[in-house]
Amino acid sequence: MGANDIDLILQQTVNAVALGGTYALLALGLAVVFSIMGLINFAHGELMTIAGYVLMYCGIAGVPFVLGVPLAVASAMLAAMAMERVAFRPVRNASGATLLVTSFAVAMILQVLFQNLISPRSQPVIVPDLLGHSITIGGLVIGVNKLFAIAATLVMLVALETFMTRQKHGIAMRAAAEDFAIARLMGIRANTVIAAAFALSGLLAGVAAVLWVSQRASVDPLMGFTPVLKAFIAAILGGLGSLRGAVAGGFVLGFIEVLLAAFLPSDWQEFREPIGLSLVVLMLVLRPNGLIPAATLQAQKA
Amino acid sequence: MRRILTATTALCLAALAAQADELKLGLATAQTGGLAPYDAPVVEGIHIAVDEINATGGIGGSIMIELNEKDVRSDTAQTSISVQELVDAGSEAIVLPCDADPSIAAAAIVDAAQVPAISTCASSPTLPLIGGDYVFANFPGDNVQATVSASWAFEQGMKSAFILYSPDSQYTTMPLYFADVMKALGGEILGEATYNIGQPDFSAVATQIAALDPVPDMVMTSAYEPDFPTFIKALRAAGYEGQIIGSDGIDSPTTFGLGNVAEGVVFTTAGHATAGSPLEAFNALYEEKTGSASETVFNAVGYDLVKVLEAAVMAAGSTEPKAIRDAMANLEDVQGATSLITYRGTTGMPVRQVSLIRVKGGERELVGQPSPNADLIPAPRMQ
Repeated sequence: MGANDIDLILQQTVNAVALGGTYALLALGLAVVFSIMGLINFAHGELMTIAGYVLMYCGIAGVPFVLGVPLAVASAMLAAMAMERVAFRPVRNASGATLLVTSFAVAMILQVLFQNLISPRSQPVIVPDLLGHSITIGGLVIGVNKLFAIAATLVMLVALETFMTRQKHGIAMRAAAEDFAIARLMGIRANTVIAAAFALSGLLAGVAAVLWVSQRASVDPLMGFTPVLKAFIAAILGGLGSLRGAVAGGFVLGFIEVLLAAFLPSDWQEFREPIGLSLVVLMLVLRPNGLIPAATLQAQKA
Repeated sequence: MRRILTATTALCLAALAAQADELKLGLATAQTGGLAPYDAPVVEGIHIAVDEINATGGIGGSIMIELNEKDVRSDTAQTSISVQELVDAGSEAIVLPCDADPSIAAAAIVDAAQVPAISTCASSPTLPLIGGDYVFANFPGDNVQATVSASWAFEQGMKSAFILYSPDSQYTTMPLYFADVMKALGGEILGEATYNIGQPDFSAVATQIAALDPVPDMVMTSAYEPDFPTFIKALRAAGYEGQIIGSDGIDSPTTFGLGNVAEGVVFTTAGHATAGSPLEAFNALYEEKTGSASETVFNAVGYDLVKVLEAAVMAAGSTEPKAIRDAMANLEDVQGATSLITYRGTTGMPVRQVSLIRVKGGERELVGQPSPNADLIPAPRMQ
């Protein structure tokens, strides 16, 4: 194996970390809400689309990208809280299936609104040229947007960890995730903690959306579908409801996808997706509750 | 005597009016879902053309066009259902979605009902072959587009290529035609890779291409949004600096808004608004009608479709579906907004001009509108 091959492996590893990080943020967004109210929010992707459209409108209005990013993230947070208030609060105590169907309905309604009120076509988003550049470290060529993705993931993960372990609302959320009834008896308000969970998931969706949109430089009404699917797979792989599991699942999924695309023989490339998903299934056969199961999971182990 | 003449003339006129005063045109297109980005602008163009024709009293001044519109939601099964409904409602011609797969699903219905159907913008040359005598396309074929771009690249001295395609749809396999033409010309294909439509990340394949030794002169793909922007950004970030060649799917504002990464990209499309061209006139008409500038050539493609139907009804002299189909199959040099359109001598895939466009400073620059060498055009690839 020559120096060139090692460079190639390192380079693909960087690609995998960047993609895995984005998946981790997405899966975390799903897991935060699931851990507290048992809802898999399939409208999570539409939060990303909203953030994407805000970035687009900022570009049209001439707002610099560095200001557009916090606006986009804030809009995703607000949209997540609005979604909870309008759609999920009325069905909060309903069965998991009802919650799931509600989230599908929210996603579809938003998609049709985007198609009819904004445009059925992709809209360009102005992304700074800097993000298209790359820097060379040793023999490695690393895209600036990859570095941003990795940095953003790290910052978010550290901030979330601090919030969850040190901060009052974070601790309340963990308590609610462990046992909602007891947490309420301890004086934690249900509305507050659920709204906070949605705000947090909106924040994660917003950051993921910025990374997602800056790669593709466009936003379209159906943009949210693929990321939420990947997030769902990653969250299941990691252990549904477990935050650390979601992060692990995201990174594992990112590594599987990039390494298969990079090193699978070309005749096999067409079967990349099924092979990747088979690996996920295999891991779930070995660890049915996910890589890092949620502490409160009632399911039987093996 | 004069009295009899007047009476017969009046009778004749009345009979003519009663016989053919409208053309029932059924639209089974995707106004929502994944094909909406293409079908929605085509249908806008259809409306503009229909309004224009009806404002002058209809086709030939007498046959008004009556639209019956259904949304097929980009769904193959829904396309069949909608087309069946349109046939049952007495449609005399039908418009199908912008993709070969749902159009093929509807082909059996229009074939059995003997109603001509024309896809908004599907470009797979297999569509009319599989679809049968009653199915027509309305866009330059994938194999023709690939011949135009490969011949241009070869003439420019670019002889080695890497192709990226997706087996997910017929359209996204266009690079396979490109590879055939390149090899026939004496060029070389240094490698190929596949992707899935909607794939989130292209950094792995981009790294692979940039690391090839020797580096290919060009990379060709028919990926469209969101895949194309993601791919080209990853490819440039990985350090690849050669020519990138695309197809009509990237004829979109996003491509021109990408900045440096898209600079120099060349792609094939259905038309270019040169000064004094019918497309320039159409774009002006579009802006007048809608209040905003046309942002895609697919608007004009919809206008083309109605012009083709108009010409077919004129040539048939009736709105009887079978007569329209037979007339359509023999049309020659119909002046559309984007090009002259000919069906005579084809299997239903029109002969139309292909324009080669280069992205330059965020604007479109016409590279040429060459006629492809017919011997080089690969046969449709049946899957």
